[in-house]
Amino acid sequence: MSKDSNRPHPHNHLFGKKVKPKNWASTIKRIGSYFSDQKFLLSLVLLMVIISSALSLLGPFLIGMAIDSYIVKENIEGLNKLLLGLIIVFVGQSLSTWLQNYWMIGIAQDTVLKMRNDLFNQFHRLSISFFDKRQHGELMSRVTNDIENVSSTLNSSFIQVFSSILTLVGTVGVMIYLSPILTLISLSIVPLMFFGLKWITKRTGARFKEQQRNLGEINGYIEEITSGQRIVKSFSQEKRVMEEFMTKNERLRESGYWAQTFSGFIPKLMNVLNNGSFALIAGIGGVLALNGKVSIGVIVIFVEYSRQFTRPLNDLANQFNTLLSAVAGAERVFEILDESQEEMDETDAAELSAVKGKVVFQDVSFSYEKDEKTVSGLNFSVKEGETVALVGPTGAGKTTIVNLLSRFYESDSGQILIDGHDIKKVKRSSLRSHMGFVLQDSFLFEGTILENIRYGRLNATDEEVVNAAKLANAHSFVQKLPKGYKTILNQEGSGISQGQKQLLSIARAILADPSLLILDEATSSIDTITEMKIQEALQRLMQGRTSFVIAHRLNTIQQADQILVLHDGGILEKGTHDELLKNKKFYHSLYHSQLKQDA
Amino acid sequence: MWKVFSYLKAYRVAIGVALFLTLTELGVELLQPLIMAKIIDDGILKSDLSVIKYWGAVMFGLALVAFAAGIANSFFSAHVSQNYGFDIRRRVFEKVQSFSFVNFNKFPASSLITRMTNDVTQLQNTVFMSLRIMLRAPLLLAGGVIMSLIVNSKLALVLVVILPFLLFFLKWVLQTAGSMFRDVQDKLDGVNRVMRENLMGMRLIKAFLRRDFEKNRFEQASGELKEKTVSSLRLIEVSIPVLLFVMNIGILFILWFGSRQVSMGSIEVGEVVAIVNYSFRISSVLTIISFIIMAFSRAKASAQRIGEVLDTEIDLVESQDTDRSLKIVNGAVEFNKVSFHYPGSDVPVLKDLSFSVKPGETLAILGSTGSGKTSLFQLVPRLYDVTGGEVLVDGKNVMNYPIETLRKGIGVVPQEAVLFTGSISENIGWGKEGAASDEIISAAIDAQIHETVEKLPNQYDTRVGQRGVNLSGGQKQRLSIARALVRKPKILMLDDSTSALDLKTEGKLLKALRTYSCTTFIITQKISTAMEADHILLLDDGAVEAWGTHEELLNTSPLYVKIVQSQFGEEDFQHVKGFKQTSST
Repeated sequence: MSKDSNRPHPHNHLFGKKVKPKNWASTIKRIGSYFSDQKFLLSLVLLMVIISSALSLLGPFLIGMAIDSYIVKENIEGLNKLLLGLIIVFVGQSLSTWLQNYWMIGIAQDTVLKMRNDLFNQFHRLSISFFDKRQHGELMSRVTNDIENVSSTLNSSFIQVFSSILTLVGTVGVMIYLSPILTLISLSIVPLMFFGLKWITKRTGARFKEQQRNLGEINGYIEEITSGQRIVKSFSQEKRVMEEFMTKNERLRESGYWAQTFSGFIPKLMNVLNNGSFALIAGIGGVLALNGKVSIGVIVIFVEYSRQFTRPLNDLANQFNTLLSAVAGAERVFEILDESQEEMDETDAAELSAVKGKVVFQDVSFSYEKDEKTVSGLNFSVKEGETVALVGPTGAGKTTIVNLLSRFYESDSGQILIDGHDIKKVKRSSLRSHMGFVLQDSFLFEGTILENIRYGRLNATDEEVVNAAKLANAHSFVQKLPKGYKTILNQEGSGISQGQKQLLSIARAILADPSLLILDEATSSIDTITEMKIQEALQRLMQGRTSFVIAHRLNTIQQADQILVLHDGGILEKGTHDELLKNKKFYHSLYHSQLKQDA
Repeated sequence: MWKVFSYLKAYRVAIGVALFLTLTELGVELLQPLIMAKIIDDGILKSDLSVIKYWGAVMFGLALVAFAAGIANSFFSAHVSQNYGFDIRRRVFEKVQSFSFVNFNKFPASSLITRMTNDVTQLQNTVFMSLRIMLRAPLLLAGGVIMSLIVNSKLALVLVVILPFLLFFLKWVLQTAGSMFRDVQDKLDGVNRVMRENLMGMRLIKAFLRRDFEKNRFEQASGELKEKTVSSLRLIEVSIPVLLFVMNIGILFILWFGSRQVSMGSIEVGEVVAIVNYSFRISSVLTIISFIIMAFSRAKASAQRIGEVLDTEIDLVESQDTDRSLKIVNGAVEFNKVSFHYPGSDVPVLKDLSFSVKPGETLAILGSTGSGKTSLFQLVPRLYDVTGGEVLVDGKNVMNYPIETLRKGIGVVPQEAVLFTGSISENIGWGKEGAASDEIISAAIDAQIHETVEKLPNQYDTRVGQRGVNLSGGQKQRLSIARALVRKPKILMLDDSTSALDLKTEGKLLKALRTYSCTTFIITQKISTAMEADHILLLDDGAVEAWGTHEELLNTSPLYVKIVQSQFGEEDFQHVKGFKQTSST
């Protein structure tokens, strides 16, 4: 399982090589588009940044004034007035600093929330086949780890970048005013800085993305192994699992190491450039002063300003770093958002108002994988209210028929008609709203038994839930539980057996009260006596509605109006139980193998 | 929590080097203004070009030294933080592998996942940041205060008074934010949980058209996460304006007090200016400190959560009288007055169960849904421990076996066929380390899956699991049976693992199983399967309802007869009765 030959990452080969800046520029733009409806608050934040920057300059200026004009001149009264004024300035400064952060956090987290919800909704618009090839944990990592990267950047970057630019412009203005030549010298580091940043981001960008991908991988592995703990333990394969984990862990460490190291270069690069420009100003400025071209006072002030100049540059460079890690996260989020939504209905898709239940398969073919036909040339029709049983060896295509009928997958060719409507021209939601399912894996959510049954029909009353449970024969065991219907089901050790889970999912389907009922191995883990009891309820449930039943125990389907015997993706035989027995073909031998084991 | 931080000890040297490098950088930074002053005073003012050149070069050299130190610091800091994260992930994962199912109940999978990834990342980032800037802040702070004290101890007293208050305030922020970020991480678990459930139950959600319902659920979880994040970040961000304000007021006080002293002649104006300047520096350091506070409070929350996992007491451990040399040789299994209830619940699941199975025999277990069949299975490989009585394998209590060798001798096929991401051969080979490909193929043949695999485009290299091809329920079951067979277990336990198989395939499978020299436990609903077994155990509500062969039970157990009738109908029932009796003669 350490081979990752078909990872769903198309950009694999790019890592460690070039990452086109275009990519992250457009990603940043796209993140920015999330802000679009926050313009008002955002402009308030900008205003506050301007105010706080101005006040933070005004404060020291006034203090300078206080010293020069009052303290030196021992004007206590004037000083007191000025100090009062300063208090107002300081209050304003703190207030505007607080407000800009307060609002910005709100904006940033709203954006993150929107992004997260978008991602979640997108998952629901993707087809089932998308999920077949992905690890749960890997997808989960995008909702948590990747979005967290974006989140932590948005909180601070915007303000930082804006205030840095503001300070930068202001300082450069003053510097040009003081001495254009020295300004030029100071600015000489900017191209160098650009060059250095480019060199670093070329490396960090790719590394950050690789890190996020590896984090996703390890997230996926942890999820899978935690879900499969029972197997790991039963087979005492902890060591093996540990080894595989460590391979992934090492990969994550490796990419994290380089991402972090390279990103650490940025402030250091800025430092050395600053120091260099310091030395240049001192050196060249000194020479200029000797020649009398610049006054000493200007040099002294200039050095101070060039320090002020480098600080916002430094901040900008640092923001660049966090921005890159945000981009790495955001790209993985957008990757999912850009997946084609196979679940889109055709624009002219119709609603199915009431379903009588006539189902026709016309020459339907389908394959999950390209080279491998799963079902081909399926032809059959089901009258209103009939019960159809699908029988055949495993892998014959029984569940596939259900998948196609409910449009979890789309047939490759042929037509499926319900009441004469091609289901591809019907809205999926409308189609499924008429169907009730008991699926092969009886998945239950973490929550109470009551909530789980109610999932079949959300507005059902408690009484209706209990009635459905009674029909499904689940009531008796639920009642025996200490907390009854309030028992919380969780993944391990809730003391609910597989068979009991099936009973609950039958109750869930009963509650849904659909026109079309689909039972895929609904009773496979239930003992036959209980099954018999539910059978009556199911029989009653199937009365008057078209039902598709998949079952291995043939005695459960003897009453079916029509039995389709499937083999290798095609229909081998069809007819009623008695007809098929008379045929003395596949069904006959299947049925009798139930009585005799070929000894 | 401290335990989590203590793992840093392993990187003492690297940490030391990283901190030393930070100090070097800091040193250069502090020297710079002094050199600058020298250039101006001795060079420019005295018109001495050589001094300018000399000190200019020194400054340039020092800048390079600082650069080298900074770059080297990056390597060391990343080394420490990444290895630290690596270590924690390893330790937590290792710990989780030793968890019993009871332990698992305490931590939902979604939470374990966040703890192992997101929380570790938080810690890692904090460590990296600390090694690079943490030293700066306190040093600059202390430096500023000391310098002001040297300049004028009376005026600087203001700072000495204010600072402890500020530090106390910061400590409060750290504490409060720490517990708030804890909530943030817990809410992240919530988001993760809903997401995971949605991924696992996607088909069901689509089938029942519950997208909007799930959307609400998710939006609630992510909304809660947002609320918590916003309020904790806002708390942190309050600290900067507060600190700034207090410091600024302190400066005003210095000015006011200073001006009085100046007019009394006890202080020079220059001293006031110097102290005001130092105070400004201190306030700029305070912003770094509040940044550090944020990182620390997040790290504290994450360390707590990781610590909880690491400190979990494993309740299923090897007993002290474990006999290291014990190994399953024959596969005899005996239950002696076994009772069992799940930890944390007092509902008895198994009651006073006694029976024994000889090596090589097959035991079929029947019983209604919820009668305790699967629970009984779990006691043999010690997935859970009995709460009364004992389970004996080859005459020895299972508690005396080393857990690993006990489980190595047992092949379990669980009810739900779980496959892992990987190829088919890797999945089958999971059952046995270093299984040769012919062993894998022969297990697949016996599990009746070989033919299906051959038909797949990549045969045994076909990828399955969460990221694999579409396999039917029955195909998954057979792969999971092959996984158990490949280890040639002494005890084979099939938990209703043939439910999705058609009877013909099942027949072939059972026939192939007979060639294995192992004791077989098989939970089944089907009489046709049960009647082939040497013994049938009929469980009802956790107790033995009946025990014997098919023929015996037909005569002694009304419940068994009822089950047979439920499967064959009245006329066939007579047939079955007759058939088995004739075939056994």
